Amino acid sequence: MRTFKKTIPHIFLMGYLLVILYPFLFVLFSSVKTNNQEIASNPFGLPVSVTFNNYVNAWVNAKINTYFFNSLYIGVLAACISILLAAMLSFAITRMRYNRISKIVFQLILIGMLIPNNALLLPIYGMMSKLGVLDTHMALLLPYVANAIPFTVIILAAFMRSLPGEIEEAAVMDGLSSAGLFGKIIIPITIPAIVTVFIINFLGNWNEFLLANYFLSSDTLKTLPVGMVGFRDAYNTNYAQMSAGIVFSVLPVIVIYAVLQKKIIEGVTAGSVKG
Amino acid sequence: MNKALRNPLVYILFVLPAFILFIAFFIYPILTAVNNSLTSWNGISKTMSYIGMDNYATAVQDKIFWKSARNNVYFILFSCLVQVPAIVFFSLLIANVRKLKNLYKTAVFLPSIMSTAVIGILWGFIYNPDFGLMNEFLGLFGIQPIYWLSDRNWAMIAILITNAWQWTGFYIVMVLAAILSIPRELDEAAAIDGASGIQRAFKITLPLIMPIISVVVMLSIAGAMKAADIVLVMTKGGPAGSTDVMATYMIRYAITSFKHGFGNAIAVLIFVFTMVITVLYQFLIVRRTERIEY
Amino acid sequence: MKKSLVLLISLIFVAASLLAACGTGGNASKPGNDGQQTAGNGEGNGKTNNEPFEITIRHTQVGESKKFRLGLLEDVVKKTEAAVPGLKIKLDGVDGEVNRKERLRGEMAAGKPPEVFDVMGSPDAELYAKEGLMLDLTPILDELGLTDKFTTLVPFTHGGKIYGIPIGGSIEGYFYNKEYFEQKGYQIPKTLTELEALAEKIKAEGKFPFAQASKDAWIPLMTTNNLWSYYAGPEITYGFKTGESKWTDENIVKAVAKHQEWVQKGYFKKGELGFEYADMRNQVITGEAIMMMDGSWANSVFRDPEQAGNMVGKIGFFNMPPVHAGDPVVVMQDANNGYGFSSAVAKDSRKLQAVKEFIRHMWTEEMQLRGLKEDGVLPAMKMDLNQMKTVSDDPLMQDIFKATSEIGTSFPAFDALVQAEVNTSLSTGIQQVISGEIDPAKMLANLQAVQDAANQAAQ
Repeated sequence: MRTFKKTIPHIFLMGYLLVILYPFLFVLFSSVKTNNQEIASNPFGLPVSVTFNNYVNAWVNAKINTYFFNSLYIGVLAACISILLAAMLSFAITRMRYNRISKIVFQLILIGMLIPNNALLLPIYGMMSKLGVLDTHMALLLPYVANAIPFTVIILAAFMRSLPGEIEEAAVMDGLSSAGLFGKIIIPITIPAIVTVFIINFLGNWNEFLLANYFLSSDTLKTLPVGMVGFRDAYNTNYAQMSAGIVFSVLPVIVIYAVLQKKIIEGVTAGSVKG
Repeated sequence: MNKALRNPLVYILFVLPAFILFIAFFIYPILTAVNNSLTSWNGISKTMSYIGMDNYATAVQDKIFWKSARNNVYFILFSCLVQVPAIVFFSLLIANVRKLKNLYKTAVFLPSIMSTAVIGILWGFIYNPDFGLMNEFLGLFGIQPIYWLSDRNWAMIAILITNAWQWTGFYIVMVLAAILSIPRELDEAAAIDGASGIQRAFKITLPLIMPIISVVVMLSIAGAMKAADIVLVMTKGGPAGSTDVMATYMIRYAITSFKHGFGNAIAVLIFVFTMVITVLYQFLIVRRTERIEY
Repeated sequence: MKKSLVLLISLIFVAASLLAACGTGGNASKPGNDGQQTAGNGEGNGKTNNEPFEITIRHTQVGESKKFRLGLLEDVVKKTEAAVPGLKIKLDGVDGEVNRKERLRGEMAAGKPPEVFDVMGSPDAELYAKEGLMLDLTPILDELGLTDKFTTLVPFTHGGKIYGIPIGGSIEGYFYNKEYFEQKGYQIPKTLTELEALAEKIKAEGKFPFAQASKDAWIPLMTTNNLWSYYAGPEITYGFKTGESKWTDENIVKAVAKHQEWVQKGYFKKGELGFEYADMRNQVITGEAIMMMDGSWANSVFRDPEQAGNMVGKIGFFNMPPVHAGDPVVVMQDANNGYGFSSAVAKDSRKLQAVKEFIRHMWTEEMQLRGLKEDGVLPAMKMDLNQMKTVSDDPLMQDIFKATSEIGTSFPAFDALVQAEVNTSLSTGIQQVISGEIDPAKMLANLQAVQDAANQAAQ
């Protein structure tokens, strides 16, 4: 009876896992199948023979390698900058003694979460055009950093607000300035929340399509989602090669997530519940 | 003490960079949109003529607009009534199993790391009426093939399922984190008092994770109101506009027709509706249970 | 301190205005020189100004299927660069839809389109031209002697001026499975009634008579557009914008009803409302469907073994037949896609020179025939049919040439003749008609309301 009771949750969870993983298996299987005929005749079945040509072709022919590194560095850099800026703002509005202004700033940023700014590309395009950064990676870095700010501030501010006041009292007694307090005390404590926000921001940047497609035109600057769609248009008949491309686009995030997942759990916890 | 934390220069230096970016990429575009929404601008011309509230009147009087707004409501209802309970259910299950916990935790997150464009391709296969996974599965139970993406009775549901597939795991990870942070002693004490697993879930865990559930609901609402790309990759708003949401309505009826002023009016309406729903939710539901620092 | 600052600033001003004067002086002299004698322009520039300069060409030849077209463009670029000293041409490839709906519009809104860009003649070019963003090509085409060389320049002509040049032409008609026709002893239909009878037979044999993929509404609308042009006459489409004709015309209702009738009789595969363009071709390639209404450009798919497999060589083409035997064949034939040029080019004589050379090398008989041979795109320039036939001996191309020669009256696709919002409304409308949720008369009444509103807004 006891063991039976213990297996019930696993039955549900395994069912859920199946729903999640089956499409992934489809991609994985397709990526090592020889051609479309094999995929179309048996789309969700095991491959008859395994070939890795698709991976080589996708990586080299379709310039997935270029797109991959563009996405990686833009994604990481933008996520880091937005976290730094948002952490500074969160620190200032939660720990520094300017409550009235801080409240207004925070409310404004909350409202920011609700603005459908993807629908408002034109003003942003105009701004980028005036700055003369179109068709450079700066045209993506700036909006990516900005777009992540509201969510990052909400999570980090909630986390910082939950920190006990004694921490900084002790630190200030030791003669730390507010900037020192931020760098030496608050940031290290906030790491779990920062990791969470990092993965979420990175994910957003890694998958962002609209701006990347709109603001960049040089082939060597393109990011992976744009490359993937171009890849789909170019090889729309070659599902096997496309699947290999998909695997490339998913793999790094899985690795990052697997490495950071323990910290994420801590981070979200701290950020949301204690607040 | 106060002196260190009341340094105006440091305060300004810390707040300004993020705040300037925020103003530039959120406030400025929405203000521009409000301004343009009062014009008949075509998106190209150097001159715009102001036409008052005409664009809003056109939108509000258009049945098709309300039809697409209704699809946003379906998005919200599906998130709140189907997705959120599922999220809580699976989070509780994962939190309470000993074996394979890490596998579950990693696997549930996987769908949310795929880009929407890729998901569109993938689910196109799954919904294929002839050889798609969905119909093959239903066929096992003797159900006739369903024309998922081409039948207006099913297309919206198909999109909602795909959307749920993509995001459920993402929220599970958030809720799970909250559950795991509950001090063990609370749960153990209740267990000693003889409370069953289900009783403990309802009496102890659920109330404690209400704040994060609220966050999930809020994020779902905001996401549902802005939704566009999942619709575009799945059905392009079709068949016959039956899966249009407000954002895709804007693209179809305003942007492609060079009616930029009208399009901006829709964007402003999306923003206002989202605000109203969020505020209502905060007052009606969150107020009564627990204030959260959201 | 302050004094020196003032001094510095005034120095900068003086220097700047001097430079500006030089600049305008230099520029002003050039048009003066080549005002009477344009031929001297290139050489004159060559001697006085060899400084490197750059123009950008926005094209849409991205992806495997457009590699021939890109090769052609690259050759033209090389020739143009060789003809203009100092010129460097930057090729900027963007997906066609993205360019049309987002990129080019954004650039137009910012007032900075690339010097040369891929553009739709109508309604896009018209709108951009109205804002003064497009270069008037009328004098250039006259000078190069190209004005009368095109089948049609109507989509690019607005207010009597030419703002763009079509790159190729196309006709719409039925691709069909020749092998199947031969096996069953079917003939190419001479009337719509015969076409329907044929469809009925094919259906009875367990095949789909027509392939269609209506996820994008322009695909089924090819059939609708050709049908109403037979029932109501092709002229009717010109009148919607002016109010002379109405969508609610009983003959248009009849045409749309006919299309719906075909759907209800099961002539198309069920669920095609959710299919992509590529699915439609696959239906023909797999032999599931026997006929398919598509633009002549689709021939490249059926001639490519990688895409069409063993169907290569087994596909033919015929025009949609008229209502009565012997009536003139009415076919959609247009040339709406081409290149436009930024009006800013006119301010820079060297760029203008580059554009002129680009046009000179791009629109030649040789290039048009090369596009036809490699890519199966019908020439936009007038060309002798026999000459075309010698270029491509492919049987499918021969069918298309034959179909072109049979055309009695041609008409441009409806979307070039109505406002964008009318197109949007009809697009949703035809999907509604196909799904059976609305009857044709009601749909067309809705459409007419949108048409009226659009016409009123234009005044």
